Amino acid sequence: MSNILECKNVTKVFGAKAALRDVTLNIPRGKIVGLLGPNASGKSTFIKLCNDLLTPTSGEILIDGKKPGVDTKKIVSYLPERNYLNDWMRVSDIIGLFRDFYTDFNEEKAYDMLKRLDINPKDKLKTMSKGTKEKVQLILVMSREAQLYMLDEPIGGVDPAARDYILDTILSNYNENATIIISTHLISDIEKILDEVVFIKEGKIVLTKTVDEIREESGKSVDSLFREVFKC
Amino acid sequence: MLANLMKYEIKGTARLFIPLYLALLLFALLNRIINPFGMIESSENFNLQVMFSIISITVYFILIVGIFVMTLIIMIQRFYKNLLGDEGYLMFTLPVKSWQHIVSKLLVSMLWTILSFIMAICSILILVDSDNLFKEIRQLISRFTDIFGSAGFFTLPYYALLSLTTGILMIYAAIALGHLFSKHKLMASFGMYCVLYVIYQVVMVLFILVFGKKIFTPVLSSPIPTPSDINTLVFSFSIPTILIMAANFILTNYILQKKLNLE
Repeated sequence: MSNILECKNVTKVFGAKAALRDVTLNIPRGKIVGLLGPNASGKSTFIKLCNDLLTPTSGEILIDGKKPGVDTKKIVSYLPERNYLNDWMRVSDIIGLFRDFYTDFNEEKAYDMLKRLDINPKDKLKTMSKGTKEKVQLILVMSREAQLYMLDEPIGGVDPAARDYILDTILSNYNENATIIISTHLISDIEKILDEVVFIKEGKIVLTKTVDEIREESGKSVDSLFREVFKC
Repeated sequence: MLANLMKYEIKGTARLFIPLYLALLLFALLNRIINPFGMIESSENFNLQVMFSIISITVYFILIVGIFVMTLIIMIQRFYKNLLGDEGYLMFTLPVKSWQHIVSKLLVSMLWTILSFIMAICSILILVDSDNLFKEIRQLISRFTDIFGSAGFFTLPYYALLSLTTGILMIYAAIALGHLFSKHKLMASFGMYCVLYVIYQVVMVLFILVFGKKIFTPVLSSPIPTPSDINTLVFSFSIPTILIMAANFILTNYILQKKLNLE
């Protein structure tokens, strides 16, 4: 199996509205993939489907050859686009929770990153700012030695200085057989770390290419190609 | 994994219950020491002591009622917020099955409900004169064995636990159903609870209509029903309750598994 993620004709309908339409997509191992599209284009829906938080209306998703479920949750590390931390917990409590549930969680790594970002593990989450909570979540997610990381808008709420550190963190914290899927509309910030891009528009995949292909064929950056494809 | 889920569920709820229990026991003790009832009886006119006594009694009763209201609210809030709110993003990406989420929440809710009862009883034991009380309890137990026989010490707790389980699962099913609505989810959950409750009553009535003659005849025909008659009656009624319990569980699990749609 060379593909970590295989998506066959996946459609997801909410009421009368289709959030994803007939999406077929294969994502190989060992790549950093940008899932790029404007707001409400279906990025989050796609990621939620891969994490078993939604069930597809039709079609099939396979992660490491398996349908989303307990087995895939063991190897997928997911960062949702919102804060999911229990407010009453301390950072050390939530680290304990990750250690108890995920066998691939590297506790040492987590404490190391907290230290570098000056976050006190004894602090309660309630007292933290939104940006700090986002950093904590990202640290938790990247401290797992997962096979597939799915990061939904990982840099949306943090300042540009922390953004660079976070991107470095992402790059230096995954092994080369793992794949990272990053969904965002802040393309220029992450362009330099991407291997491949997937453009998604109104629930449909409109383009799947490697960054090198884009540069060779059109001579454009991903950011300017994005602006062209999604021109209003 | 179930044990791990329960560990975090207890951690998440104990911080709310333990202070309440301590406050209740403390006020029971305080009321025992200052004996406000005696104080009110013995004083001839309204004074500061009487006022303090009334306040002390009132706080104690508010705490007793408050503990049961809190038990219910926390039961609802943990399921709604921890599984179907933002925290659900974490809970449902843990490598555990959805039935384990339900069972862990159910067992911990049952634990707190039972503990709340025990705490209420403990506070009463602290509050009242214990010599008389133990005599009364012994009398109560002998009355109980007259009616239910010693088997009653099994059948009644069994039915109580069964009803508690069914009640909690019905609340979970109602919240899960309410979550399927795109707006006014809490209102919808309340409406769904009413619907489920009516269905439960209908099933019970149908059960009595169909099997009533068989079940009630031995109890009604003898002037004093034997303990075994009464225990058979309790067991018979547990059959439709078990069915309703199972239906609520399966429904909740199905929604969490297949129809989950976090905000």
